[in-house]
Amino acid sequence: MAAGSWGTVVWRDALLVAGKDLRIELRARVTITQVAPLGVLILVVFAFAFNANAVLLAQGAAGLYWVAVMFGAVLVIQRAFDVESDDGNQDALRLSGFHPGSIFLGKAMALAVQLLVLQTVLWVGLVVFFDVGVADWPLLGCAGLAGTSTIAVCGTLYGALAAGVSVRDTLLPLLLLPVLAPALLAGTRAFEAATGVTTDAGWNWTGLLFVMTAVYTVAGLAAFGPLVEDG
Amino acid sequence: MSEVASVVAGYGLAVVAVAVYGAWIVARGRSIGRELGIGDPGGPNGQEDGRWT
Amino acid sequence: MSEELGSTAQGSMTASVATRVLGVVAAAAAALMLVLGLVVSPADVVQGEAVRLLYVHVPAIWVAYGSFGLTSLASALLLWRGRRRSDGGRHYDRLAGSAAECGVVFTAITLVSGSLWGKITWGTYWQWDARLTTTVLLFITYVGYLALRNLPAEPTVRARRAAVMALVSFVNVPIVHFSVDWWRTLHQPASLRIGRRPEITGEMYWTLLYSTLAVSVVAAWLMIHRYRVIRLEELRDEAGLAVALEQRRGEVVG
Repeated sequence: MAAGSWGTVVWRDALLVAGKDLRIELRARVTITQVAPLGVLILVVFAFAFNANAVLLAQGAAGLYWVAVMFGAVLVIQRAFDVESDDGNQDALRLSGFHPGSIFLGKAMALAVQLLVLQTVLWVGLVVFFDVGVADWPLLGCAGLAGTSTIAVCGTLYGALAAGVSVRDTLLPLLLLPVLAPALLAGTRAFEAATGVTTDAGWNWTGLLFVMTAVYTVAGLAAFGPLVEDG
Repeated sequence: MSEVASVVAGYGLAVVAVAVYGAWIVARGRSIGRELGIGDPGGPNGQEDGRWT
Repeated sequence: MSEELGSTAQGSMTASVATRVLGVVAAAAAALMLVLGLVVSPADVVQGEAVRLLYVHVPAIWVAYGSFGLTSLASALLLWRGRRRSDGGRHYDRLAGSAAECGVVFTAITLVSGSLWGKITWGTYWQWDARLTTTVLLFITYVGYLALRNLPAEPTVRARRAAVMALVSFVNVPIVHFSVDWWRTLHQPASLRIGRRPEITGEMYWTLLYSTLAVSVVAAWLMIHRYRVIRLEELRDEAGLAVALEQRRGEVVG
């Protein structure tokens, strides 16, 4: 088979996997009815922690946003791999003949879509509760997408590492959050620049997020073979 | 803490950490060895690769 | 292995003649390191007595870096060549695990000695500086790696997962370092750089080099013994499984 058609097959299978995950989410609506409200709740709880100090909240808004996204992401990732370990689903996936890379890309894409939904809700929360304005729309959009893709690929890789083990719920955040720390840092700085809180080099941080996405996509494609074979 | 006290605390904690970790390793090795009956020359040891051991 | 373990009935289960000698050397080297660091080496003109923490702090992080490097190397070898080995790559897995544990211990020592040092020179235990932040994230990452290793799972599956995680962590370290470096930098520049004139000289320089050697010997002793204990743990698990199977068969027959 030619390299080109091989690539096409991987993408086609990835879209199938993503579609399957998104259909499951559409039926259960866990992200929209549970994770997104929890994200907004995190914003509200932070407002309590800072005694509703408007100045502090405006300064910390970008960071709180990404912290909320990250904790929400942990829940979505756990859910994404829960559905695989149920009812021998993982065996079915393995027997489906999908390339492990397709499974990785597909799950990452489905995760990215759900994270974008979560972020839209959180963004509304940020505007309403924290009075955040936008100084640079293109930067905000690109940084949001770059952060989403970074969390999606890292999350899929680490979700697979922690999948199927009994203490996964506590293990995944421990493994994932240190890896996402640079993404939190970069997303926060970029959003601070985009919302006019600082004049920091927002595009540089966005670039770092894209580099992270590329690095972890390569790592995930390479690692999913040995991980999926395990079962 | 005074300067000297901090220095002594730093060295002390480092020594304690290494000593406790080393003692834990040795103790664990002994207890598992006893459990397995390894240690008496006729014990069942298997034929493992001899590297590092 | 059988000879070694068999011949140490009255001593440590994990000791052999060679590692006994290594242990004595390590203990003596560490004792001499304490004397050199605490008594013989001079106090610094600027930093005073606090500079003595250098001889713990810097060797500990170097040895930790070396240990994590070894973990990554062993993990790469496991994924690359593990299947071709008769033991399925378990040797590399034990190597990776023992090195990572040792690295975590020495990273903890680095963090504690560094905070004490920071309290003296900066007036605070912690600064959100690039290297400190990277080190604490490195520490947590490998604590997580050890947690993943300790989970109950089929040994070869667990070994491969741990190896993947070790390699991803290795990739992550430069990203973390770069990002926090960009974020902020306060820490004094690296203490020694190969090919450059070191900023510390004379007795302090030699004490630092000697301390690094001594800490490395201690770490080697710890790693070798931990490797053997991991092997013993595996033997115990296999034996436990064999006993359970035997009992099960007995039930079926009876």
